[in-house]
Amino acid sequence: MATSDWLAAFEKTAAAIGAWEPSSAATLSALDAVRIDFLGRNGRLTEVLKGLKDLPLEDRKLYGPKAQSARAELEGRIAARKAALESHRDLSLEKSGVDVTLPASPALRGRLHPVTLMMGEMTRVLGLMGYSLAEGPLVETDWHNFEALNIPAHHPARDAHDTFYLKDLPTLLRTHTSPVQVRTMEKTKPPLKIVCPGRAFRRDAVDASHSAVFYQMECLAVGHGITFADLKGTLEVFMRTLLGSSTRIRFRPSFFPFTEPSAEVDVSCLLCGGQGSGGGGKGCSACKQSGWVELLGAGVVNPAVFKLVGLDPEEWTGFAFGIGIERLAMMKYRIPDIRLFYENDLRFLDQFDEDIL
Amino acid sequence: MKISFNWLKERVGVECGAIELADMLPRLGIGAESIESLGPAFTGVVTAEVLAKDKHPNADRLSLCQVSDGSRTYSVVCGAPNVAAGQKVPFARVGAVLPGGKLSKAKIRGVESEGMICSCKELSLEGDASGIMVLDPATKAGQDFAALLGGSDTILDVEITANRPDLLSHLGLARELSICLGLPLKERTEPAFKEDDSLSSFPVDIPSPGACPRYVGRLIEGVSVGESPDWLKTKLKAVGLRPINDVADITNYILLDSGQPLHAFDADLIEGGRIVVRFARAGEKLLALDGKEYPLTPECLVIADAVKPVAIAGVMGGEATAVTARTRRVFLESANFTPVTVRRGSQLLRLRSDASYRFERGTDVSAAEWASRSAASLIASLCGGSVRVSPALDVYPGRREPSPIRVTADRINSILGSEFPRDEVHRAIEAVSAQIRVEGDVLTALAPTWRSDLATSSDLAEEVARILGYDRIPSTVPSSALRPIEELRSLAVARKAGSRLAALGLHESLTYDFISEKSVSLLEVPEERWVRLANPLTEDWTVLRPSLIPGLLQSLRRNVERQAESVRLFESGKVYLRDASGVRERPHLAGILYGPLVPAHWRASKEKTGIFEAKTILADLLSGVPGLEWTTEGGNGGFAGENLLLPGSRVFIRNASGVLARLGTLHPKLARAWEVDREQPAVFELDLELLAEASSGPKVFQPPSPFPSSWRDLSVVIRDSVPYADLEAAIRGLRIAELDSVELVDLYAGKGVADGHRSLSLRFVFQLPDRTLKDAEVSAAADKILAELGKKFGAELRK
Repeated sequence: MATSDWLAAFEKTAAAIGAWEPSSAATLSALDAVRIDFLGRNGRLTEVLKGLKDLPLEDRKLYGPKAQSARAELEGRIAARKAALESHRDLSLEKSGVDVTLPASPALRGRLHPVTLMMGEMTRVLGLMGYSLAEGPLVETDWHNFEALNIPAHHPARDAHDTFYLKDLPTLLRTHTSPVQVRTMEKTKPPLKIVCPGRAFRRDAVDASHSAVFYQMECLAVGHGITFADLKGTLEVFMRTLLGSSTRIRFRPSFFPFTEPSAEVDVSCLLCGGQGSGGGGKGCSACKQSGWVELLGAGVVNPAVFKLVGLDPEEWTGFAFGIGIERLAMMKYRIPDIRLFYENDLRFLDQFDEDIL
Repeated sequence: MKISFNWLKERVGVECGAIELADMLPRLGIGAESIESLGPAFTGVVTAEVLAKDKHPNADRLSLCQVSDGSRTYSVVCGAPNVAAGQKVPFARVGAVLPGGKLSKAKIRGVESEGMICSCKELSLEGDASGIMVLDPATKAGQDFAALLGGSDTILDVEITANRPDLLSHLGLARELSICLGLPLKERTEPAFKEDDSLSSFPVDIPSPGACPRYVGRLIEGVSVGESPDWLKTKLKAVGLRPINDVADITNYILLDSGQPLHAFDADLIEGGRIVVRFARAGEKLLALDGKEYPLTPECLVIADAVKPVAIAGVMGGEATAVTARTRRVFLESANFTPVTVRRGSQLLRLRSDASYRFERGTDVSAAEWASRSAASLIASLCGGSVRVSPALDVYPGRREPSPIRVTADRINSILGSEFPRDEVHRAIEAVSAQIRVEGDVLTALAPTWRSDLATSSDLAEEVARILGYDRIPSTVPSSALRPIEELRSLAVARKAGSRLAALGLHESLTYDFISEKSVSLLEVPEERWVRLANPLTEDWTVLRPSLIPGLLQSLRRNVERQAESVRLFESGKVYLRDASGVRERPHLAGILYGPLVPAHWRASKEKTGIFEAKTILADLLSGVPGLEWTTEGGNGGFAGENLLLPGSRVFIRNASGVLARLGTLHPKLARAWEVDREQPAVFELDLELLAEASSGPKVFQPPSPFPSSWRDLSVVIRDSVPYADLEAAIRGLRIAELDSVELVDLYAGKGVADGHRSLSLRFVFQLPDRTLKDAEVSAAADKILAELGKKFGAELRK
């Protein structure tokens, strides 16, 4: 290209650039159109600049810087206009702000049932203490539910187990989670440490504190030289982890055919902290002013049970405890009526959650 | 069991009050259920004599009386019409505490009254409330009126565990308190009466000695049956028994005092003058003392005379031979029956009594003779002036020597994990034993006859712990070999699926395992597959649920009744179906979705929840099993009741091992039955056992392609009858390597689309892992797809 032609083209473009009034670009997109028009890949100025390389060297030296400075100047004007337009837009966004006090929609998250949460927490703690999960059927045999637990037919201890029987079948609905002990010992050689959470059934009239369906958690440890002291220590660690390190526990003699010695275990009342009275000397209703709440049954595995399940009672010793899950949840969350657990009212279910603190 | 504190104090020297005692009982393993005060609810009331009655100066209906308590005379205003000079009355002095409050000095119509003459009502006593109480003229003035009425008592309701029948009496409890708390037992007065050797008991025959180890019989003549003396009636009433007549009351008294049940027969009504302890014969019946007739079976042990049963052994006597006012001769039974025999009979007949309660737990075989003597002695002294008592006939086929228990202190400590000194262990065992012998380290104990629960070293370990205190046992944790903790697959899948569903916006529910026959019928489960309860609690709870859906429907209904708008529930639990082997119990997971997707909200869409939400949820759940391959063909599989879902709106998800899940719109007839038909609930149900069995493939990271993808949106018009799944299958069938995904982005029918057709807008995303696709390649692939859809389904590009 001849220098004169190029010069003409350059002068023309430079004139156009000179004629452009930045304020004429009212929007960012209009501004961008201008930028593309001059500076785009095939823009007018770009084309002119591309033509530079065809000029003789002296001309290139002469006109090159001129053309470059024209581009720099245009870029500067565009940038300045862009900044002005942007800050103007920001300002208008600021002015047109939403009513931030409008309510947000609730997160569509469901909830786990408090029994599940409680059970999960209990098995988690016992899992950390080395206990594995075990389970068994809900429809049980008399052997697993009673006989093998040293509760023969016509034993008065059966009075405490109002049992549902199945029609035309020799089976029943398990009245506790203890048959899982039997099933596990029948098939697994000790040493073993298991925890068995699950449903159990009693033919009790349903009221605020009785449910025909309820959840229990059984824990069993069998090994060499396991003692009542081990039961005490295990329950203390378990309860304090679960309910707080200031929790105290108390053992009272009791009777279960499958443990000997047996104990009822009380924990210090969560509501009054074991004082037996609330603030201002008022009596605590949760523990009937005693400061203690009866929570679970426990004991050293009766050697008769080992014999029944085919383990050598001279070799093995162990302990077991069983705890009502709703009862614990009722105590922990101050739920007054066990029936609430089975009504599934959303206003009840919504209150339980895996809290993050 | 009810324990009278006064009665207990006659047996053991209790120093403390009833409430303090009740506080100590739990440490001994005795539950203290409640404490109740009995007797006069007032103090400070004395007997007094009305010396004179004058008119009240300012009131016609009132009188002014002079009343003397023997030491002082009081001036008292009285409003009762029946008050008269010379009467003996209960008189409340100023300061007396009455059920209505504390009495203070008062001016009544201007005249000061220094007390009050009381009516029954004012003292909370039974009787005529129209005027003041008028006492026996022989009553001495100045006595404490509450004490005169028998004083007050405290009743402890204690809970005795099934292994301790020896505590089911005042004496038994006294003995325990003496052993464990070191309280002194009170001497028992030996029953004093002269046996008349010229009389002899009826002969007693025990053909089944295994059921009756001991029977002590005694004949008592010259009895005149009447009312019991006050002390006896007071005792029985205190523990909740109704006095009947003196003979019956004495047998009840001995039962509650010593724990030994007794029975008194009218000897003249015992035919043939002999007693047989035998099992009932088929067809025999007995009208029992409760007025009901019981058909007896050969499992029931009875007491019979020469002809007929006269009592159900250890449970209840017969009406025909009961002691009545006409009775002159009494045959007194003090026996021991084996626990299983009595329990079986009592359960068969559904008849329980204080006697059967004790027998089925085990009574003290050695107590029978003493109890017979005590009762005879009381009958002799209370029931008439010329009572003659035969010597006892003691038939004792079940005499047994107690078996010795050999233990060492080390053994006890090794069970308890304790370090009790040898001496303490020995002393504790000695306290509960009839006898001990120590040779070197070995202690040999003989249990008392009333402690049949003591047989092993474990039993003695419990006694040692109980007496020395559970709190003295240290706390340790078991040492055990470290093993990997395995999470049970079945429990893990239920737990994790639950968490995922909660994250997807569903609330976990727990419902009962029982449903009504009506509900199972609605599910159209064939009756031979129902698992019925033999002894349901209520009519609504007769069948074990074959599906979780009815329970969820019940919960849904409750929430809808309580104005819940949008309800999404799930449950994870067992379902039951009858099969050849008995009951097939399987873990299921089910959910129900109802109402708008989101509760009404200014930003929320008004979209209703339906089958597609159920699909979303199930697909997300199944995506939690990496590598799980599933299709949506197939029948109902193991799920109960095909017609739970609306035909035409149901999907079954199958993998290699069977039908994993089903979902769909709830059949409207079920929605109607549970009154949740305002919306169309969607449900899903999953067989967790099949899911847990499904093998999950290894999880390996797939690097996303670094090259850009290209996409094409194509809208095709196609006949309604072509299911989308067929369309997608046809596209996949082309195996176009560049095709990364197909998404249905819009669905339209109506204006511009021919009748019977719909327009599907599909977004195809093309991508290769190793290079950027050329535009021409993408277009060629899109054309290929269009051609295939045209060929297979007559689909055309929408204009």
